[in-house]
Amino acid sequence: MFKFTVRRMLQLVPVIVGISILVFLLVHLAPGDPIRLLLGEEATPEDYERLQRIYGFDRPLYVQYFSWAGNAIRGDFGVSIRQGVPVTALIYSRLPATMELAFFSVLFAVTFGVPLGVLAAIKRGSPIDLSSMVLALLGVSMPGFWLGLVLLTYVALNVGWLPMFGRGGSVFYGIGQLFTTFSTEALFDGFRYILLPALSIGTAMMAIITRLTRSSLLEIMGKDYIRTARAKGLGERVVVFKHGLRNALLPVVTIVGIQFGVMLGGAVITETVFAWPGVGRLIVNAISQRDFPIIQAGVLMLAVIFTLVNLIVDLSYALLNPRIRYD
Amino acid sequence: MRQKVLVVLLTLALVLVLAPLGLADNDTLIIGSGAEAPGLDPRVEVDIPAFERINLILEPLIVFNTQMELEARLAVDWELTNDNYTITFWLREGVTWHDGEPFTAEDVKYTFEWVLDPDSDAANASLYADIEEIEIEDDHTVHFHLSSPNVFLLNNMARMNITPAHAGNREDFRQNPVGTGPYMLDNWVRDDRMELVAFNDYWGGEPNIPNVVFRTIPENPTRLLAFEAGEIDVYQGGVVPREIERLEADPNLIVQRTPSTGYAYLGMNTLSEPLNDVRVRHALSHAINREGIVQRVLNGIGTTGVGPVPAALPWYNDDVPRYDYDIERARELLDEAGLLGQDITLDLYTNENLERIRIAEILQFEAARVGIDINVHIEEWGAFLDRILGSEDYDLYILGWSGQLDPDRAMYRQFHTEGSFNDTYISDPRLDELLEKGLTVPPDSQESIEIYREAQEIVVELAPYGFINFQEEVGLVHPYIEGYEVHPYPANSWQNAHLFTKNK
Repeated sequence: MFKFTVRRMLQLVPVIVGISILVFLLVHLAPGDPIRLLLGEEATPEDYERLQRIYGFDRPLYVQYFSWAGNAIRGDFGVSIRQGVPVTALIYSRLPATMELAFFSVLFAVTFGVPLGVLAAIKRGSPIDLSSMVLALLGVSMPGFWLGLVLLTYVALNVGWLPMFGRGGSVFYGIGQLFTTFSTEALFDGFRYILLPALSIGTAMMAIITRLTRSSLLEIMGKDYIRTARAKGLGERVVVFKHGLRNALLPVVTIVGIQFGVMLGGAVITETVFAWPGVGRLIVNAISQRDFPIIQAGVLMLAVIFTLVNLIVDLSYALLNPRIRYD
Repeated sequence: MRQKVLVVLLTLALVLVLAPLGLADNDTLIIGSGAEAPGLDPRVEVDIPAFERINLILEPLIVFNTQMELEARLAVDWELTNDNYTITFWLREGVTWHDGEPFTAEDVKYTFEWVLDPDSDAANASLYADIEEIEIEDDHTVHFHLSSPNVFLLNNMARMNITPAHAGNREDFRQNPVGTGPYMLDNWVRDDRMELVAFNDYWGGEPNIPNVVFRTIPENPTRLLAFEAGEIDVYQGGVVPREIERLEADPNLIVQRTPSTGYAYLGMNTLSEPLNDVRVRHALSHAINREGIVQRVLNGIGTTGVGPVPAALPWYNDDVPRYDYDIERARELLDEAGLLGQDITLDLYTNENLERIRIAEILQFEAARVGIDINVHIEEWGAFLDRILGSEDYDLYILGWSGQLDPDRAMYRQFHTEGSFNDTYISDPRLDELLEKGLTVPPDSQESIEIYREAQEIVVELAPYGFINFQEEVGLVHPYIEGYEVHPYPANSWQNAHLFTKNK
């Protein structure tokens, strides 16, 4: 397993180099020019040329790439063209917000999705099965940002204690406060801000997990070894949870891992609806402003996280199914 | 066991429901803003959201009030002398920077010299290019000597907040500026909130509301919901047109409207066939259903377009040729040009702006009735700007101008042969002559008004632009806030926030 992990980590190197070149070419060759966007509609050609020179965009592309890559290796990802702040600082200040939102969306999706799927599978054809499948279909069909706006308009506006936008303190900080000072205030503050965004993002994923758990469990329950387990006289609960679900969860874990990675960069629209100060919004704003340093560092970071999440998913297979080994 | 879990869950639910609701806080003004400021250094920023915030922290010498007249701020008076070759400012005395240093003429000189330094990354240096030399007479008198008369330079200077000579070069100035304004920066979480606190030694007196918080809420519907829920006190800009009727009927909030300094237009590339024929441009102008667009696309927010100068300015000329919506007339004009019934296909570009896209579609429909096929291309903003500013590869485009604060700004760059934004490539010797002369004539004189009235007539007659609509600024405020007045130029919306009061 250790060897496998090291090998996979080494594979990251060409991936990162490849992505950095690809992203660099894409952002530089796509139409749109950061200086023009920076200066807006009022810039004159003189201002434009002066700033091109100051930001170094008048140099050949390969020179620009190597100067960027040389700094990046030393951990310096440059300064945002638009905001004049080091890119790493911008990303680090937003990463916790995004991670927390992704974590709670996944938590919500898994806690409701897996039991619902199991219930639907063991009560196949019953009203419970039918209604959970309808729920799942609805969940998949509703775009997260739309659900977010609906929740804001019909729930938050009427309830009073749910905020319309923004982020409170961290929920984890709140949990810490609960145990150290026995005060629920910080926990509540974090919780009420994250509730609706996590629900909006988590619903679609919950629906996917419900359907996947159901179909995967149904397939497993038809396998020979399940019949064997039942023939041995094991109780139904043991058969379903120990023999069935454990195996049925393999595809679910894969999806959860991929979705978690997608959420880190892809929850942009929901982040925008709730004015959640996350990484996704940072990167998308940077793309529309052609803020090259942020795009490059941001995409690279997402690629690394994505690869790492995939690695963790692969490793977790071994935990769920001991027959899978990595040597 | 199960009961225990239930009890815990119920208690938790109860705690959540009964948790203290946010109490009304009269000491904090909460402003909802559609976008974050990239930074707070007036010398390098160009975005309106940046200046919305900067104007509370740093101040220009003079500012535009809500009537679009220049008003004293850090200057007490100013004068154009020496055949308009010199502008003199007399500065306010007893003004201190947030760090306690006194404000003097050195700071004024420093700010403009920094902007004009070719090695600085100042964004709009060319706005001040006519300044040749800055001469300090004493601590509170400063002369700007110009290389050529530019009577509208004052309007540009009203957009340059003065930065401190003793701290302006600090590396973190853009993130943590020192100003003379009524508020100081206290805490800034990008994309979320910017918290300002009152500067108690402010020359204009202690601000009424001790704290101001800018909340960044990019999504217009969310911002509106937050406003209606009372989470933000006031905001300007980005009101979705179809909401306006409902908001105006709501007695619990106040909607303020004022003509803005901007307009939307259809640009026509006069180099491309057959748009080089003025009759074809007139035909297209007649095909713009202005009234329909204002009523149906903008829900009445705005008025029908006339010419390049906003109606709020004294130079505005109402007496220019009008291109009423008239498909028959358009067909006649096309016939006169010998083009009726021929295959005419034009490429129209605009960006991903819902209103512009709808206008483009309406135009496409109307032009087809005249016999002109329009292909509509929607491009991402960066790519679109690149095309219009960097190429001649388009026939038509829909775009807008904002901040047309004077007739020079509204016409020279757009319609002078050498204009930096002459993207329709229009060229007319008489127009050039007028636009050059306008810069040398005192702006409050009848002569100035006559020059620019004639220039407007020529522009509208040549029709490089089809003027679609003038824009309107909409501000939303709760009745418990007093002192807010919607500003025609959104960057200046909050410059008097220190005079607001809040009684919730």
